[in-house]
Amino acid sequence: MIGILDYVWLVPLAPVLCFVIAGFFGKKTPQGGGYIAIAGALIAFIIAALASYDYFTSDYYANNIAYTVEMEWMAVGEFSINFGVYIDTLSCIMMLFASFISTLIFIYSIGYMDDQGVKKTRYYAEVSLFLTGMLGLAVSSNYLEMFVFWEVMGLCSYLLIGFWSFTHPEGDEAAFRASSAAKKAFLVTRLGDVCLMAGLFVLLHLFGSLDYADIFNFDIATVDSNMLMVAILLMFAGVVGKSAQFPLHDWLPDAMAGPTTVSALIHAATMVKAGIYLVARSYPIFIHCTDAMIIVAVIGGVTAIYTASMALNNMNIKRVLAYSTLSQLGYMVLALGAGAYLMSLGIEEGEPELMLLGGAGYAAGIFHMINHAFFKALLFLCSGSVIHAVGTEDMRMMGGLRTKMPITAYTMLIGSLSIAGIPILSGFWSKDLVLEAAFAPFHHGLGAGSIFMVLFILGMITAFMTAFYMFRMWFMTFCGEPRGHCHGESPKPMTVPLCILAVFAVISGLFVVFDGSYYILESLRTTIDTVIPFHTGMEIVEEIFTAIPTYVALVLAVVGIGIAWKLYVKTPYDAEAFKPENHGALYNFNAKRHYFPELYNWISWKFGAGVAKGVNALDVHVVDGTVNGLSNAVVGGGEGLSAVQTGYVRDYAGLVAVGVISILAVFCLIFLYGGGF
Amino acid sequence: MIDISFFLVFSAILFGIGMFGLISSKRGLVTLMSIELMLNAANINFVAFASYGGHTDGMVFVIFTIAIAAAEVAVGIALMLNAYKIQKTTEVDKLSTMRW
Repeated sequence: MIGILDYVWLVPLAPVLCFVIAGFFGKKTPQGGGYIAIAGALIAFIIAALASYDYFTSDYYANNIAYTVEMEWMAVGEFSINFGVYIDTLSCIMMLFASFISTLIFIYSIGYMDDQGVKKTRYYAEVSLFLTGMLGLAVSSNYLEMFVFWEVMGLCSYLLIGFWSFTHPEGDEAAFRASSAAKKAFLVTRLGDVCLMAGLFVLLHLFGSLDYADIFNFDIATVDSNMLMVAILLMFAGVVGKSAQFPLHDWLPDAMAGPTTVSALIHAATMVKAGIYLVARSYPIFIHCTDAMIIVAVIGGVTAIYTASMALNNMNIKRVLAYSTLSQLGYMVLALGAGAYLMSLGIEEGEPELMLLGGAGYAAGIFHMINHAFFKALLFLCSGSVIHAVGTEDMRMMGGLRTKMPITAYTMLIGSLSIAGIPILSGFWSKDLVLEAAFAPFHHGLGAGSIFMVLFILGMITAFMTAFYMFRMWFMTFCGEPRGHCHGESPKPMTVPLCILAVFAVISGLFVVFDGSYYILESLRTTIDTVIPFHTGMEIVEEIFTAIPTYVALVLAVVGIGIAWKLYVKTPYDAEAFKPENHGALYNFNAKRHYFPELYNWISWKFGAGVAKGVNALDVHVVDGTVNGLSNAVVGGGEGLSAVQTGYVRDYAGLVAVGVISILAVFCLIFLYGGGF
Repeated sequence: MIDISFFLVFSAILFGIGMFGLISSKRGLVTLMSIELMLNAANINFVAFASYGGHTDGMVFVIFTIAIAAAEVAVGIALMLNAYKIQKTTEVDKLSTMRW
């Protein structure tokens, strides 16, 4: 104990102070406040690291108690809403990787955003606030507080995706796309946020509190299980919006209109991870609703394969990565859903074996989130470095960059190998754990086993697709003949973070060997009464290397890489084949994102526009009508009465006399008929 | 002793005449005279109540009222003279320069 745990609230506070400082005074400092933002993220990381160390060495950790400090924020009737910090392993993990990766991304931004002039101030202020949102979300002690930070992130993503909506380096067309992408991101996630808010209302109704500590310690048997299912599904709808899961996934590829560093921030450190965090945080209540967990897992599995398919033929280097993020998020949701399903059955039947598997699924989801944060930040920053050097995002204009920018090329190769699931690299471990979690319900012959078997197969195909599209991207960018212009390797502030992230993309997977899942499961041990069994690191390693699916996945990944090599390196580049008129129907269907943007538009116009018109009519006729009617009545009455003001003194004297006489008359009448005063 | 109601009715009639003059006449000097009538109607009430009530407060107030009425008439006539100098009339309805 070094006592820093009591100051853990400084973690979100440091970046928000930097947001204020960079926002108001950034123009006067070098790099438009860039160093302030870096300092904020670094301070947050240092405090988070010290506080995490403090937590792990404290009695709280030893006794499986979450560290909670709260003060009253507001009281509404019998409900009181608190504001405070809730620290367990999950919070520590979130704080650590969010602040660490953000620090590296901010350092990278110094090089990447160097030519942006005065707009840099805006950029650095907004990214600081973005980081505040994520760190605040991680330390929040109740759902409402979490929701506030959740919305802060929504706002910042809107601002940052639309960073180039006024003047875009590529012209007005691109600026227009940036502004509509920002609006789309905001509105689509809003749909989820409204559902989440509704879910929180139901939770408040059920539990009488929104504090994690209260809800997780509540006697869940006394709660109406149908209402609980409604609450859980509504909260999951919020996750679907924020983490861009299947029907609401389409905002994320469009969000590529922002600067690449912002994409890295959204995809790796913040924003989309918030949804995964919410699922993981709400596990103690999610596991009481077995049926809803099947839906969660199905949404995750469908997202994983569906979005991976769209990455197969995309020509935009950033969009490929965006689809890959979606697909990996699907993996995480699949693992968490499958884990919750197993655990709920395990607790119901008192079966330690199922609880162990459930815990493994939970750990796999969190673990994949950590690993994904590292390799996806690496991949995005590499793509940013490539775009910086080439000046385009179109992979048809790249090629042969390996010799010109070796650091970017080889760090990106590490990231691609990692996400493809090549052994020892981080992606391999977590992806196998995810697939294992999806496989377990079938393996143990549970009720929904066949559904999970389908999801497992989808996951396997996704693994193959992932390896293919990642290496298609790498080969198209770095191998073959140069097809465009290139400035050469990026400056130091950009390459150093790449190297650091590459190291983590390799080693972060080894966390599991050193009992990683035991540490991750601590956040469940603090909230679930039952003893949750676990496997040690070595047992997990043994399991992974003795299971057949591991080798199947590995072979599929290698085959995927091989096909990519065959198509994009072995075969000479044929410009004709990439021309739009030579594309097949399937290609076009895929490239148009399965007409999802059109579907969104159609729904918005058919349904949304009608609702909007109705609301508008209500506003114009009822709300405005009341206000205007009231003011008209006052104005008209005043004008009518002003006729009395003739300006003739005799009239006034007469009116005064009439007034006095009528008052006297009234008093007299009261006196006569009322029997005195 | 004369009944108090005679005094009060007399005072009310006097007040009514003053009020009628105030409202009906356009001439500024008649307005001032009407006000004087109304004040005196009030004075009669004061004196009558003082006399019947048996204490002298009312009498004292009548002295004040007469003094203030004298001052008021002086001011009023001065205003009328000045108004006549500028506007060549003392009709209150025509003194409308400062009206809204």
